Amino acid sequence: MSKIKVLAIDDEPGATRMMKINLESLGQYQVEMVNDSTQSIATALRFRPDIILLDMVMPNLDGGDVKRLLQENEELKDIPVLFLTALVSDSDTSSDVSLVESGDGIMIPKPVKTEVLRSCIEQTLSGVL
Amino acid sequence: MRARPRPRIILKYDVMDAGGDFSEKFGLKHYQSILDNLPVAVFAKDATDEFRFLLWNKKQETISTIPRQRALGRTDYDLFSQESAQYFREMDEKIVRSGKPLEIPEEILETGDRDEVYLHTYKIPIFDHDRTILVGISEDVTETVTNRKALQKASRTIQAKEQEIEKTQLQLIQIAKLESIGQLAAGVAHEVKNPLNLILQGVEYLDRTITEKDENTAFVIEEMNHAITRATKIINELVDFSTSSRFDKRECDLAGLLDGVLLMLRHDCSRLDVQIDRDFAEGLTVHVDQAKFEQVILNVVINAIHALRDVAQPRVAITTRKSTYSDERSEGVRTGKQIRIGDPIVEIEIGDNGAGISPEHLDKVFDPFFTTKPTGVGTGLGLSVVRKIVELHDGFITITNHPTLAGAMVKIVLPE
Repeated sequence: MSKIKVLAIDDEPGATRMMKINLESLGQYQVEMVNDSTQSIATALRFRPDIILLDMVMPNLDGGDVKRLLQENEELKDIPVLFLTALVSDSDTSSDVSLVESGDGIMIPKPVKTEVLRSCIEQTLSGVL
Repeated sequence: MRARPRPRIILKYDVMDAGGDFSEKFGLKHYQSILDNLPVAVFAKDATDEFRFLLWNKKQETISTIPRQRALGRTDYDLFSQESAQYFREMDEKIVRSGKPLEIPEEILETGDRDEVYLHTYKIPIFDHDRTILVGISEDVTETVTNRKALQKASRTIQAKEQEIEKTQLQLIQIAKLESIGQLAAGVAHEVKNPLNLILQGVEYLDRTITEKDENTAFVIEEMNHAITRATKIINELVDFSTSSRFDKRECDLAGLLDGVLLMLRHDCSRLDVQIDRDFAEGLTVHVDQAKFEQVILNVVINAIHALRDVAQPRVAITTRKSTYSDERSEGVRTGKQIRIGDPIVEIEIGDNGAGISPEHLDKVFDPFFTTKPTGVGTGLGLSVVRKIVELHDGFITITNHPTLAGAMVKIVLPE
């Protein structure tokens, strides 16, 4: 079975590296990292991810900009995007999965456990989310 | 026999007989004319004959609206109400007994067809041979008194307004305080949550990769996980200050909402053996953001449960009712539309039979970071967030000690 290809876009190299280490240690994921958001489209075209994890607040192009560029691209527009952001929070912090629907799509509040991340990826790819 | 007090004024003429030097020279007609043209009311009563009126001048007619013919020869009891007559009689007897004139700065005279009349009266006892006559001179001071009362009322209104302004100023300071915390929180949260994310995922990685954990390693990892959860919770609560204005308000069934929260807490309740008394009014709906409002109720009930740790038969009583707002709210920040007296409201009361709140803490419980719980148990943000959410629903929240349960009582009031 081929691995699920995840493109992690975050301006903080530590964040993408950590996601890569944790997701890949689960076995079924292959993670590619982008830390300069202007490189997002080029990397996506080359890597052809199954899903994109996108940080919201970044210099140059922010998460919203990247999402628009992805949608404008015929080859990339159907790739699902999950936003990861420190900007939102759910009041009920005791709940493990706390997703916030916004106009842009699904947002996962940081900090996020790998388990939650995996569950969100799986649900998105299986069409539940 | 008791000696009669020495008279101060001796009337040189007899009122009824119009005798004596003055009336002989001047004539009774003229003397009556002087009395009738005085700008003050003059009357006289015969204290030796049941205080019957002997004299009743024109001004007295005007003020009392009782004509002279009706008054002369009659007593106060014939002319005024029992209550007034008794008051006049007691006063008159006192004056006669003391033998001294008396000034009554203000007395009320009831009149048939006019409103109450205020009089400034002098009463003078006159002792003449065997007769004692009580002369009264009254000035109508109704206008002065009315003006003074209006002025006093205005002054009280001004005072009340001043107090309200002072209170509002304090409230504005409080709002500003909360808003600056909110702005600070939004900024800090983003900067703190990113590193927290890294720490969380790092700890997860270590947890997974260190397969052979000794007791200390397991402890360290567990504590680090707890610390991250705690830090995240505090940051999120702080952020709620700045984000909670985005509300999604809908009509919600109040009883259903409360039962939902109680369901979430059923484990805590059964673990601590807390009895929940529900007294919900039927069919009440509230216009709220359900998730935010559940947070409010959850927070308050958890506080109540925390307060019941060492209580023998722990109880939490939750009551809802429809009502009309009647109390003037004395404290707390007012934002948005203010509930006014007479407005239809929904009240939610959550009481417990814990230790209650000490008086010096009562006005601090809504301050951010105020807590009586040990570090790590409560951040102290709970009630300040609760209050903010309630206020953003145009309601308010008060906390007092419960009238019957001895513990604390939180009352949430929402517009209906």
